[in-house]
Amino acid sequence: MYGTTAMQQKKIKNLQLIIFCAPALIVYIIFKLYPAGSGFFYALTNWNGLNKTYDIVGFSNFVEILSDRYFWNSILFTMKYVIVFVLVANVVALTLAVAIESRPKARGFFRTIFYMPNMISMVIGGYMWMFIFTKALYYLADNHGFKWLDHSWIGDPNYSFIAIIIVSTWGTAGYLMIIYIAALQGVPDNVKEAAVVDGASPWQCFWRITFPLIRHALTICIFWTLNAGFQVFDVIYTLTGGGPGRATQSVAIHIYEEAFRGNIRYGYATAKSTVLFVIVLIVTAIQLKITSRKEQEW
Amino acid sequence: MVGKNKTIGNIFVYAFLFIAALFTLSPLVLALINSFKTNRELLVNVMSLPDELHFENYQRTFEKMNYLRSFLNTAFLAVLSVALIVLFSALAGWRLCRTKTKLSRFLLKLFIFSMLIPFSSIMIPLYKVTLQLKIKNSLVGLAFVYAGLGVSMAIFLYNGFVKNIPKEIEEAASIDGCSPLQTFFLVVFPMLKPITATICISNALWIWNDFLLPLIVISDNKKYTLLLSTNTLFGQYSSDWTAILSALILAALPVIIFYAFFQKKILKGIVDGSLKG
Amino acid sequence: MKKFASIILAFIVLLTMAACAPSTPKETKDPGKATDPAPVKTDPVKTDAEPRKAELSIMMSFPQFMDQWETYAKQFEEKMLKEENIEVTVHLEMPSSDQYESVLQARLTGDDAPDLYTLHCNNLGTYNKAGNLYDLSDQPLASLIYDNVKETVTIDGKLLAVPIESQAWGVLYNKAIFAELNLSPPDTLSDLNNICTVLKENGYTPFMLAFQEQWVPQLMTALTLGDIVSGKLNDWLERMYKDEGSYEEVREIFDVIDLIIENGTDRAMEQGSEAGAADFAMGKAAMFVQGTWASNTIMTTNPDMELGVFALPINEDPNCTRVNLSTSTTLAVHPSSSEMDLALKFANYVLDEKDSSGLFQSCSFNPLATCHDYEAYSWVADASDYVARGRAYQDLVLPSSVTDEQGRLLQEYYVKTVTVDDIITRLDEAFKAANALN
Repeated sequence: MYGTTAMQQKKIKNLQLIIFCAPALIVYIIFKLYPAGSGFFYALTNWNGLNKTYDIVGFSNFVEILSDRYFWNSILFTMKYVIVFVLVANVVALTLAVAIESRPKARGFFRTIFYMPNMISMVIGGYMWMFIFTKALYYLADNHGFKWLDHSWIGDPNYSFIAIIIVSTWGTAGYLMIIYIAALQGVPDNVKEAAVVDGASPWQCFWRITFPLIRHALTICIFWTLNAGFQVFDVIYTLTGGGPGRATQSVAIHIYEEAFRGNIRYGYATAKSTVLFVIVLIVTAIQLKITSRKEQEW
Repeated sequence: MVGKNKTIGNIFVYAFLFIAALFTLSPLVLALINSFKTNRELLVNVMSLPDELHFENYQRTFEKMNYLRSFLNTAFLAVLSVALIVLFSALAGWRLCRTKTKLSRFLLKLFIFSMLIPFSSIMIPLYKVTLQLKIKNSLVGLAFVYAGLGVSMAIFLYNGFVKNIPKEIEEAASIDGCSPLQTFFLVVFPMLKPITATICISNALWIWNDFLLPLIVISDNKKYTLLLSTNTLFGQYSSDWTAILSALILAALPVIIFYAFFQKKILKGIVDGSLKG
Repeated sequence: MKKFASIILAFIVLLTMAACAPSTPKETKDPGKATDPAPVKTDPVKTDAEPRKAELSIMMSFPQFMDQWETYAKQFEEKMLKEENIEVTVHLEMPSSDQYESVLQARLTGDDAPDLYTLHCNNLGTYNKAGNLYDLSDQPLASLIYDNVKETVTIDGKLLAVPIESQAWGVLYNKAIFAELNLSPPDTLSDLNNICTVLKENGYTPFMLAFQEQWVPQLMTALTLGDIVSGKLNDWLERMYKDEGSYEEVREIFDVIDLIIENGTDRAMEQGSEAGAADFAMGKAAMFVQGTWASNTIMTTNPDMELGVFALPINEDPNCTRVNLSTSTTLAVHPSSSEMDLALKFANYVLDEKDSSGLFQSCSFNPLATCHDYEAYSWVADASDYVARGRAYQDLVLPSSVTDEQGRLLQEYYVKTVTVDDIITRLDEAFKAANALN
């Protein structure tokens, strides 16, 4: 070791690095990078996913996307979904976390229950909710006078939006809650006590003292929900299938249908998923920038 | 006065938690009680408890789903995939953190940048790759695919975790004559235990609950995973809620049992993964 | 710590398994043999020699008839062993219907086509163009299929698939309810209107609506467009394919669509097709715009059901009131099959003199070939009556993206988020877009 120059040492280090990374790198390149790259290649073709031949059409798919009303509608729907979902899921999760933390005796019990849905596949959970929306709620409305439940939870676009939000919140709030609880536990008690002594109400205490201290968790949770929200597929697919018509079609579902149904334009569909990727990238970058700046400010 | 306020507050908070818990459990509970009914009973009253427990619903779905075989397939797939992900990314994550060169920075970026690529855009090319490598219909092959898809996140987590481990222990080991590989297995890997637990849990859950990838890669029904068998059953009994509900319960059962036994570890693992990542 | 060490040990053991395992199952079991260029051929002449082993992969969109087809595949395996001394293993893959197309497509693009697969008759053109269909014209089965059915699976003089589900269909109705109220099948729109009034006066809901899956509302356009094109605007579809027509010309189809929706059951969007069929069987409504393929579910739910079929009227001209002749599911042989011989044998076996009737009957499929010697069901007779009187037409072949769009738009029409004008504009657009691609 002593005789080697810095240059040689660096070489050895890099060689070691490559050897240690090799297994991961190989599977990663084969099963992720290469498919992603060739996926992008198809975005430049007019391949219909079925024919043996196709032409390279350059960026015309991307030009066509600009005027594709259904695609932008699905983006709009996804945006709406993401905003509501991020808000609702985080508010619910934070409320649950605060409520649980304020009653330490019952913490374990409730935490266990609230996290449970997160363990179950959304395909399974979606079907269970389907039973509720198409059978149980109608039963309650018809036989027990809960008339306010008598809506078309799957069919009416407004209500099915609510249904989708309910189910996706059900599936994720537990996960977010666990993160918030951990952050809350990191807030030192004496800080809170000091605030109470100073005459702050619990409400003030939360917003002025606790909330700033759990901003890190907030960043993580928002990042996570944003990302999941933009790619939402399973929940909508099992509940409404994107319907009625295209009323609840998220981008991911729209892309899936473009690739596998109707005109089966696989090349065009991959062009769309490239656009989705870019949008997610931009939104995430902006969000990280904003929240991390805020975190520093505090 | 203060005491009274506190009691009211207590009642309020508990009521809230209780209602939320009821809401959370309602899909599972409704699926459970209705899965024991006959179809006719179910159509008459969705909310009542079953008159008698019709286990034959379960017996039928159990057979139709080839439950044991599907379960073992899924378990095998999940365990192997997780093992691959852990081993591959621990090796890579550790070295990536300990090496400070241009190459290491490049590799780390390369691994992480793809985390946002939507699955739909790689689905068909990925399927073609599995054909070219002749690993279609092979659970072992599928495990390697999962490894390829899963290493990014795991490397990211390992890399972050290793940062907080003092270097000195490793250095001492290598001075004692350990090769890098020995150092890794004997010294480093045991220290990674907390984050390894996290990675095992989150990946096992993902793979256990994944649907689209096995649907495309596995066509031999002897190798079906639980979700694939459940899905086939839905096609067969699409108008029979008792069959569907009992299948849902059977499909959810393993994770719920797993959760019941390891919930402390699972919850801790999730927290570690999120806050330290 | 000890526990953890043992976990690591387990990982390592698994890893070594992983390293050795992939080679073994692949060679012996993997049915992805399409890539295998030369399967070992033994002497085809019957000998007492070891039977040749072979595998046949079949993909079908019949999850509801899984048991029936599994049995049939077993019979085929036995027959092959006995007659040809070939030990065939048939792999049946049946994804649920909403994933079927994407899975099939993945297989086809991956050069990993199943030896045989089912597809909808209307897709034969597209699949043929992509080179995914084997010409079955010279096969023995070709001479067995009834001519009017054969026509539906023939393109450019080539028989491209074995028809499996073929039917004359229109509106299903509950004969018992109709008899009780002295109603007879309608010939005109005002007849139908009248029927609805009488039914409602007597406390029955006229139409069963089950619109959760897009293809079900779409049946209304299939029937009404067929009626109008065969009875009146004969060249409409041709012109549509030349970008010279418009849905504006067929606007009157909404008269009857409105009538159906106004007189239908509630909560249609929450009702799947199978659940709808079951409810219809239990008498929840008197009529159901649904093909006879639903008869299996209906008759299992209520074996005493008196099921009938009538043609859907769209206006006051009885000449437009016709039944739809269509072949839905067909079975195709993929040209790249490495077991072509066996694949063809299976295709022929589907219309086997001896065994085919049993299979078709157990799935409630209609007879469609001379080998089918069973009594047609009463509801089939109803529809055949229309055919005999010349009041039938071949199902219109629309681009599948337009068919999908019709289903979507009718869902939206039902929940009142689009108007007839919107539908007309959007369908014209969809048709033009599809034309531009082909």
